[in-house]
Amino acid sequence: MSEFVLRFEDDLTKRPRASARRDELDLDIRRSEKVMNEPIVRFENVTKRYGALTVLDELNLEIARNEKVSIIGPSGSGKTTVLRMLMTLEHINGGVIWVDGEPLTHTQKNGQIVPASERHLRRVRAKIGMVFQHFNLFPHMTALQNCMEAPISVLGLSKKEAEARAAELLDLVGLGDKKNHFPIQLSGGQKQRVAIARALAMRPKVMLFDEVTSALDPELVGEVLNVIRKLSAEHDLTMLMVTHQMGFAKEFSDRVCFFSGGKIVEQGPPSQLLGNPQNERTQQFLNAVLETR
Amino acid sequence: MSKVDLSFIFAVLTKGVMTTVIVTLGACVVAIVLGLFVGLTRVSPRRQLRWFSIAYIEFFRGTSMLVQLYWWFFVLPIFGIFLSPWTVGILGIGMNASGYAAEYVRAAIQAVDRGQYEASTALNFSRLTMMRRIILPQAMRAMLPTWGNMLIDVLKGSSLVFFITIPEFTSAAKQAADATGDYMLFFAVALFGYYIIARALITPFVRWLERRVSRGFVREQVA
Ligand SMILES: Nc1ncnc2c1ncn2[C@@H]1O[C@H](COP(=O)(O)OP(=O)(O)OP(=O)(O)O)[C@@H](O)[C@H]1O
Ligand SMILES: [Mg+2]
Repeated sequence: MSEFVLRFEDDLTKRPRASARRDELDLDIRRSEKVMNEPIVRFENVTKRYGALTVLDELNLEIARNEKVSIIGPSGSGKTTVLRMLMTLEHINGGVIWVDGEPLTHTQKNGQIVPASERHLRRVRAKIGMVFQHFNLFPHMTALQNCMEAPISVLGLSKKEAEARAAELLDLVGLGDKKNHFPIQLSGGQKQRVAIARALAMRPKVMLFDEVTSALDPELVGEVLNVIRKLSAEHDLTMLMVTHQMGFAKEFSDRVCFFSGGKIVEQGPPSQLLGNPQNERTQQFLNAVLETR
Repeated sequence: MSKVDLSFIFAVLTKGVMTTVIVTLGACVVAIVLGLFVGLTRVSPRRQLRWFSIAYIEFFRGTSMLVQLYWWFFVLPIFGIFLSPWTVGILGIGMNASGYAAEYVRAAIQAVDRGQYEASTALNFSRLTMMRRIILPQAMRAMLPTWGNMLIDVLKGSSLVFFITIPEFTSAAKQAADATGDYMLFFAVALFGYYIIARALITPFVRWLERRVSRGFVREQVA
């Protein structure tokens, strides 16, 4: 736990560009005024539309520091969209997403909220990491290189530092012996574990997992979930996870949110939401999921 | 045939082959460099850059190569710009080919899996780094076969430099045939000559590039 967590902060401030320094200072002042129990992520009336289809309708969602939140819900209910917006892979059509006290896709200028510059986006985005359903490893790089590339070219680590960090993380996900394998030489579960290590190498504060075991053969699901379990137990990380693994959601999460039709229909501690759901739609969904077991 | 000095014919042909090879190599370099550059601006988020590249591609692909060479060679001097025949030949043929190359680059970049772009964003790459380290290495792999064809077209098109006063392989063959009257022999030499240049020069180069960029795409022994 110790070292890994301690070093979370320093990468971001390692090479502040002269021009970036001033707003960073402003932000530090603003930040210090806030208490640490302020949520690390806050969706405020966030709306997302694809053409005429409103996928998320004025979503409000707060995630506390180090909280583990699972998102469940039927297909098409907007679960992936929530994560993708937070990762800035989708534009939002309304509302504000706050990350660590700052608006993600906007900046405040003279009290006005204006669309953020690329620099602002990159600074705030650095706090977030994401693991995808289909891994999205870089096929032309080995497992080790996959984990080294961004720390070198984005964070400015030396090759040696990046390699040490990558090796440590590959050990953490149990792939110390596969460092020099290319993605095509790895099983699905191994690829996904490399993807987790790759995201962690950027030292994010918030990790997003989008159905990370859905593309895996059943016997490989466990090895990936074990890694996530280990992370959640040993590291200070906020985790937001879309999953269909109800059993895992139950043991892993502090809170489960049930999405339906672009809204959070019901949320609560897993024992309550999964064990004794109040909303009719939640009950239907859970019944349907449990039946197919 | 015996009356004609054989060593003279040999010299003419050798010089022609050398000229063709040099023009081809030079034009290939120009085509690759400009093709990559224009292809990248073609997918730029900046509208002005995209417009520039579209105009470039339309011009060089859409108009005749020989007329383009004539422009550089005969029309530019009217505006006070004098370029040597070699410069015009290499730049002109290279730029013409780069119009095609740029389109291959664009298509290959756009064919890279969306997930690669998304992972790059999630890892906070700048656009430039993403292109250089993640997207282009993968796009290169997809575009190389089309590049092989393009480079062979450059070789064949290089005979047009004859029209801007540079004697090259085809014209040398014609000269030899005229001098000896043996058209069949010398045009056969030309026919196979181009084929051999392509096989000896371009194919190995493309193969070598293909091997370089296909790491991780074929199952291979772990290093
Ligand atoms: N690029 C897009 N263009 C148009 N509609 C889209 C696009 N992406 C998603 N949608 C729509 O938005 C809705 C929510 O999609 P989303 O991927 O968030 O669902 P999900 O809850 O993750 O579903 P699943 O469990 O199947 O992954 C769906 O109705 C989907 O069809
Ligand atoms: Mg989804």
